[in-house]
Amino acid sequence: MSYIPGQPVTAVVQRVEIHKLRQGENLILGFSIGGGIDQDPSQNPFSEDKTDKVNGWDMTMVTHDQARKRLTKRSEEVVRLLVTRQSLQKAVQQSMLS
Amino acid sequence: MQDRLHILEDLNMLYIRQMALSLEDTELQRKLDHEIRMREGACKLLAACSQREQALEATKSLLVCNSRILSYMGELQRRKEAQVLGKTGRRPSDSGPPAERSPCRGRVCISDLRIPLMWKDTEYFKNKGDLHRWAVFLLLQLGEHIQDTEMILVDRTLTDISFQSNVLFAEAGPDFELRLELYGACVEEEGALTGAPKRLATKLSSSLGRSSGRRVRASLDSAGGSGSSPILLPTPAVGGPRYHLLAHTTLTLAAVQDGFRTHDLTLASHEENPAWLPLYGSVCCRLAAQPLCMTQPTASGTLRVQPAGEMQNWAQVHGVLKGTNLFCYRRPEDADTGEEPLLTIAINKETRVRAGELDQALGRPFTLSISNQYGDDEVTHTLQTESREALQSWMEALWQLFFDMSQWKQCCDEIMKIETPASRKPPQALAKQGSLYHEMAIEPLDDIAAVTDILTQREGTRLETPPPWLAMFTDQPALPNPCSPASVAPAPAWTHPLPWGRPRTFSLDAVPPDHSPRARSVAPLPPQRSPRTRGLCSKGQPRTWLQSPV
Repeated sequence: MSYIPGQPVTAVVQRVEIHKLRQGENLILGFSIGGGIDQDPSQNPFSEDKTDKVNGWDMTMVTHDQARKRLTKRSEEVVRLLVTRQSLQKAVQQSMLS
Repeated sequence: MQDRLHILEDLNMLYIRQMALSLEDTELQRKLDHEIRMREGACKLLAACSQREQALEATKSLLVCNSRILSYMGELQRRKEAQVLGKTGRRPSDSGPPAERSPCRGRVCISDLRIPLMWKDTEYFKNKGDLHRWAVFLLLQLGEHIQDTEMILVDRTLTDISFQSNVLFAEAGPDFELRLELYGACVEEEGALTGAPKRLATKLSSSLGRSSGRRVRASLDSAGGSGSSPILLPTPAVGGPRYHLLAHTTLTLAAVQDGFRTHDLTLASHEENPAWLPLYGSVCCRLAAQPLCMTQPTASGTLRVQPAGEMQNWAQVHGVLKGTNLFCYRRPEDADTGEEPLLTIAINKETRVRAGELDQALGRPFTLSISNQYGDDEVTHTLQTESREALQSWMEALWQLFFDMSQWKQCCDEIMKIETPASRKPPQALAKQGSLYHEMAIEPLDDIAAVTDILTQREGTRLETPPPWLAMFTDQPALPNPCSPASVAPAPAWTHPLPWGRPRTFSLDAVPPDHSPRARSVAPLPPQRSPRTRGLCSKGQPRTWLQSPV
């Protein structure tokens, strides 16, 4: 409707904090990410969980590779994400009704 | 017999009116007149009713009017007696000690009433082919005020009777007694044999003498409900529906809590009563009380405050005593405009207040000090009033507050929220009501979104335009790509708010992710997934959807 890619947008977000798992000598998160500003969004089979920020780094305008790098830094054990998803809006509506 | 009853009834009405007039109690007189008129209207409506549901509503109104008239009559009697006694006798208390301190009034609100039912799969239900239905409502009485809830239709698919009403009583004392009565009536005609098979019908009719006699006796016992004698206010339509008292209980200050509580119900009817319902025996509700001392200011005026610990800085403030706090504002207007007070002194059951002496030595008369214990420290504020009279009235207000707190007990710990009940909508089409239990079919793998969906639909969705950021989610196709080598952890693929249905997870279809630490990401998806770019040479157009494990 009124969302223009590349333009700032205000959204309802959820904070998620993930502690990385140790696998061998690596720290992993345990899931995959898809997309990026350089990817084709129409090929996205899923529509949940868009990541806005990772550990303070802005993720709204990053390429796929940049996103992957920011999430896999060896020095960081904890990743703090700001995530937006559709169901958050329903949660907001519900809390406004009660 | 009916004529005699009518004559008696008219005489009673006349007597009531005369008594109200003689007392010159215009308020009560007006209320009585109003109820009498309502009663006449309800009688006429009942006579004109053709449908059972309308008759049930009209009978309910009649029952409520009767109860109110009786209660106002009782109140009138009491006041008349008090007046007569006052005029004739010389009161022994005239020369005695001053009047006892009386506690402040408060608002009492009961809401979220729910009465659990206990259905058994006995022969009773199996034999009657049709679904038995009952009409129930609650009558609530506090002092001489009577209020009713809406009428609800109950059948064996309901696990509880839930009333939506909020009932508020405005002038209650801490010694209040809130009497709760549950009335029920059969929606089907009592004694109707239309649903029963022929063999059963003949059996029943042959033994009608005994059972109908019992029913008639049961009906007479609870005719009109709430103990009104049939002679005084007879129900005119003998053939119409009859409400029976099913259960009752009385709630007092001890039951008040800012939350839900369960109380016992005294069951008043037995299985032979035509309107008998299998009640579990308890009622859940939220009973809240707001004493006026908590919501209204009880004293205000100019004060000089010595902040705790500082010896010389006396500041002039406008003090307002409200609830469990003494607010000291810079200026009198600040109290109304919502400005933050300069200082707030807590006043609760543990607070100690002393008048005078402390600062007499320093030449400051008319002072009072307020001490509170915070852990190991004692904090004392000293306040100077303008004159001896001012000091007296502040002390009086504080003593009254302490008294109110001792009477209203837990209601003075914190203000309990009370919602002003919305004016009740007229009785809607009496559709069968389901309980939330039946509407919620929650599967184990559910998202919070499913629950909020059901709740939103139940409350009624607000027609709001979705916020702009939701547009980020609307451009995606709904189909999964079976060739995708990696799966994303949270996955139900919903593209837009769906009506509630089981979510589909795609992780079962995809190959489990490979977490070996790779520097580069996986191969891009096959290009046939993007019809848009097929055959086009759009240079800047991204053509891949990369996924990487992290």
